Amino acid sequence: MIKLKNVQKIYRTEHVETHALGGLSLSIAAGEFVSVMGPSGSGKTTLLNITGLLDTFDRGSYLLDGRDVSGLSDRQMSKLRNAMIGFIFQSFNLIPDINVFDNIDVPLRYRGWKAKRRREAIEEALGLVGLTSRIKHLPSQLSGGQQQRVAVARALAGNPALILADEPTGNLDSAMAMEIMDLLERINQLGTTLVMVTHDPELANRAQRQLHLLDGQLIDMDFSDGHKPLFVEEEAISAAAE
Amino acid sequence: MLSYQLKNALNSIRNNPILSGLLICAIGLGVAMSTASLTVYYIYSGDPIPHKSDRLFYVQLDNWELSSSSNPQDETAPPTQITYRDLLGIMESDIPTHQSGMVATYPTVHPSGVDQRPFRAKTRMCYADFFPMFEVPFRYGSGWDRRADQNAEPVIVLDAKTNDKLFGGANSVGRTLRIEDREFSIVGVLDPWRPKPRFYDTFGRNATREPEGIFMPFAFVERLELDNMGSTICFGDFDDEFAAFLQSECSWIQMWVQLDDDRQREAYHGFLNAYAQQQKKLGRFPRPLNNRLVPVMSWLRDQEVVPDEAKGVLLISLLFLVVCSVNLIGILLGKFLARAPQVGVRRALGASRFSIFTQHLLECELLGVCGGLLGLGLSIAVLQFVNQSLDRGGLFALDGMMIGAGVVLSLVAGAVAGIYPAWRICRVAPATYLKLQ
Repeated sequence: MIKLKNVQKIYRTEHVETHALGGLSLSIAAGEFVSVMGPSGSGKTTLLNITGLLDTFDRGSYLLDGRDVSGLSDRQMSKLRNAMIGFIFQSFNLIPDINVFDNIDVPLRYRGWKAKRRREAIEEALGLVGLTSRIKHLPSQLSGGQQQRVAVARALAGNPALILADEPTGNLDSAMAMEIMDLLERINQLGTTLVMVTHDPELANRAQRQLHLLDGQLIDMDFSDGHKPLFVEEEAISAAAE
Repeated sequence: MLSYQLKNALNSIRNNPILSGLLICAIGLGVAMSTASLTVYYIYSGDPIPHKSDRLFYVQLDNWELSSSSNPQDETAPPTQITYRDLLGIMESDIPTHQSGMVATYPTVHPSGVDQRPFRAKTRMCYADFFPMFEVPFRYGSGWDRRADQNAEPVIVLDAKTNDKLFGGANSVGRTLRIEDREFSIVGVLDPWRPKPRFYDTFGRNATREPEGIFMPFAFVERLELDNMGSTICFGDFDDEFAAFLQSECSWIQMWVQLDDDRQREAYHGFLNAYAQQQKKLGRFPRPLNNRLVPVMSWLRDQEVVPDEAKGVLLISLLFLVVCSVNLIGILLGKFLARAPQVGVRRALGASRFSIFTQHLLECELLGVCGGLLGLGLSIAVLQFVNQSLDRGGLFALDGMMIGAGVVLSLVAGAVAGIYPAWRICRVAPATYLKLQ
């Protein structure tokens, strides 16, 4: 599904160059559930943005479902993103002034589906996340967990092959976080490839494979001796403190 | 997709009613000023009789003396009007399809009603051809015929307003009206008629005035010794008597002819030159031949019918609209950039840059159209004020063309205000804002 080869991303300001990804290579198969961990600034979100066609890269190559995305126009990129990728964000990113139905409708509108097909897809996605009764509610009328479930429904409604989740439980309490994780696992079991960025080792462990990023590079992690890398311990401490 | 973008644009306008209201008012003011001044300019500069303006000619004969000029601004130009003697001379021609000398007078009307008091009425002294030549519409009856001109028959035509005033709008054909010391028989009543501008007599800034209320055979100028209401320029001495005035070198009569093709035009121009040569033999027309046939639109240009004020106000109004639109760029930019996180979400969910651009430009155009509608409403009020201030009745009014112009101006204003902000917002990198929502 995802093949990155020597992907390099450099953020440049007038005086500073930051190597967000330094020649990263990665392969994720269709139907996999992969978690991405790493300390702040390690390049997790950059990796997710590039994978999700929201950002460009400076070097290397990226094949999404076998298609080379470098050189695609904005229109082609948008179409591919719309057709193949669903996003779930930490802060839900629902549009505040439109209701649940219309929020889930956004990607389907850009896909150009007819009204009947859109309605069916929205109702099905809402049924899956258990929010059918909130279809006319505004995001502000929902709890955090419900908002994230709407975001999941929005990501799901177009039946994408790949879902990218950027700390999807970061703004939720632990019970709600488990609920969302259960939901994501169910979605993955239905065949959707899932890539999830998280700081929480417990949630990361629920993925089939864990990737660890440090300074824009994937690092080899072998926890067989019971030791954990320093950043995982730091994150665990800060998560516990919160 | 367009309907979805329209829906998003409408939502955005509704979600910020105060800001949207201010934007609409700003565009509305600009459109109101521009449309109102454009309408005034359009009325002044329009072709009043488009389907035959190239066949109607104003006649100029150069009877002027050598030692002075009739026109200080253009010494080579012949006088703008002709003398009574020359009128009678050239009216002998049978070349034009239609021809009429004319002049405005101000005789006293004595209505027959017991409760109606005498009043002075603006009256056009003209020939029978005036009506078919200028395609004057009739409600009742018709104009008089050429025989009435030749025999000075006491007939008149009333305009709709005068007929309303004197006869309550009823068919007054066949009734009589006392003007000065004579009874005139009414032969026709006009439908409302208002050439814009009033091309047949533009003197003394008359181009925007209404046509006269009464039309009377020219022969009664002499019979009733009616004074000319318009301009009169003379050279040489003459006695005070009216008969002497008529025989003088005073130019005070407008002359129009209809010539339907080049051959007819050349023949008539030849006739005028032959007439001038004949007059030279009589000791008149001392200058070189300089007789002119000027088509309607050229005549209006020569007469500078469009006042400099109208041009100036139009320019200022359009600049005002541009300033309004340019000022809105900053406000719209702020509004759109505040929405960047939402745009980031839409981009992540599949919206292309073009789609974001069109949605935001559509929002600006909607604001422009709302502003345009407000502006058109305001411009009607502005034009009513202008009409009242200048005593021009309903002359300056929006027609289909001007409403269309107002809509186009509002769309242009929306585009001017919106293109840059829409372009900026469509260029934002979605990834930058997704974490900020």
